[in-house]
This record gives sequence, C-alpha cells and structure tokens, in this order.
Amino acid sequence: MLVIDPSFMLLNHEASDAEAVIHALSERLFEYGAVKESYGEETIARERKHPTGLPTKPFAIAFPHAEAEGVEQSSLAVATLSSPVRFLNMGDPDEALDVEIVFLLANNAPEEQVQALRQLALIFSDTGKLLHLHNLDSKKLAAEWLRQELLQTE
Amino acid sequence: MGRLIVVACGAGINTSTIAEEMIRNRLDEEGLEDVTVKRILMADIDGFVGQMDLIVSMMKIYREFDVPQVKGMPFLIGTREEKDVLLDEIVKIIRSLD
Repeated sequence: MLVIDPSFMLLNHEASDAEAVIHALSERLFEYGAVKESYGEETIARERKHPTGLPTKPFAIAFPHAEAEGVEQSSLAVATLSSPVRFLNMGDPDEALDVEIVFLLANNAPEEQVQALRQLALIFSDTGKLLHLHNLDSKKLAAEWLRQELLQTE
Repeated sequence: MGRLIVVACGAGINTSTIAEEMIRNRLDEEGLEDVTVKRILMADIDGFVGQMDLIVSMMKIYREFDVPQVKGMPFLIGTREEKDVLLDEIVKIIRSLD
C-alpha cells in the first residue's frame, strides 16, 4: 500500500539537474517520516549506476529509487517539471533524455517494488495520462488522481 | 524440444519480472509449455551461452550472441498494441526454431 500524500507532489517544479529533483522529492518523503535521511543520497548513487530514464511519449519520464533498507513506509513522490531535466535512458545509458515527470519510488520490500512498477507502467505507457498529470496544478488533486490510478489496478 | 528464453535486466527493481509475466502468459495461450522463461542479470549472461534460444533485453546489449535478441522495453512502456507485436515476434522466433 503506497502512501501518496499531497505534500509529496512537486508540481511545475524548477530544478537544474537530476540530483536536485531526487533531493527535493526525497526531502518531502523524509519530512513525512516515510524514508530515512540517507534515502536521497542512496537514490542518487543508484541512479548513477543504473539510470531510470524511460523514453515514453509525449515526453520522457524517470523512476529513481533505492533499496528497501532506507524506507520506513512505502510511498511515492512525484515531480512535474517546468523545464525538462536530463536523465540517462535505462535501456541505453549512452542516451540522455529530457525528462518532464519524475516518479520517486520508495518501497519497503522487494516484492512491493515490482508491484508498484507494474502499476506505474500502466501510467507510463499512456500518453493521455502523462499529459494529464503534467497539467495538474493542485497537489491534492494530483495525489488523489495517482491514488485512484494505482489502486484501480490492484 | 525444451527452449529457453532469458529476460535480462541490469539490477534491482526487476523490470524483467514484468516482461517475464507477459511472455509466460502468451506462451501458455499458445500452448508452448515446454518453453522456459528465466530472468537473469545481464552480468550473468555468459553462463547461459549454449543454453539460451532467445534473449529479451531490458537494457542495451553491447555484444553479439549466436541467438536472436529482442528489446523488451515495450513490456514496460509500450502500448497494448506494441506489446502484442513484440509477443507475436517472440512466438514467431520460438516456433521457427523447431
């Protein structure tokens, strides 16, 4: 069961690079008590070794995450970006992608990780849904929408 | 004859799990029960040379192998149609081996 709190939504967020976005998102989770303080750094380190950029349409997205150890409560934080931020393509690390939505995953158990990704993949593969999310400017609505989308598939 | 499809990914979140499931379901639908689908780490792929009949890769492969390779990304981010096209291709390759 993923906690998706309005405070985890960073909408029309301005960030200079992938690290900054990951930091900003993990800060939200940390303040809530969903992850340990180290989660941000761990996620950045992991992103460097195993990039999570995906060449989705109409724009690329990324799903950074770290190991279950740093997670107190399974949760999802999302940033929609006012200007694209560069992430490397998971399927081709030589390729840089201009990412417009970042989904920071935090899962308590490896099995949950796969489940969450399976549910998120239904959003990733849907152009309309990505556009819809990108256009939201209410944190409350964004959190509600995500909860609805992700719970529907359970 | 028993065939082996390996689904290779880098690490961690196991994006290959999603691919494996879809491939398995289609193989069952097609009655191809003697085909095994196995998730592996790209780092371990050498151990499967000689055994594997098809590679489904969730990441870029920088090397050539003697067996067909397909990109597994549509299983993660493709439309329903793109997934079906990929599954069709996998079934076609497997059937062509006999």
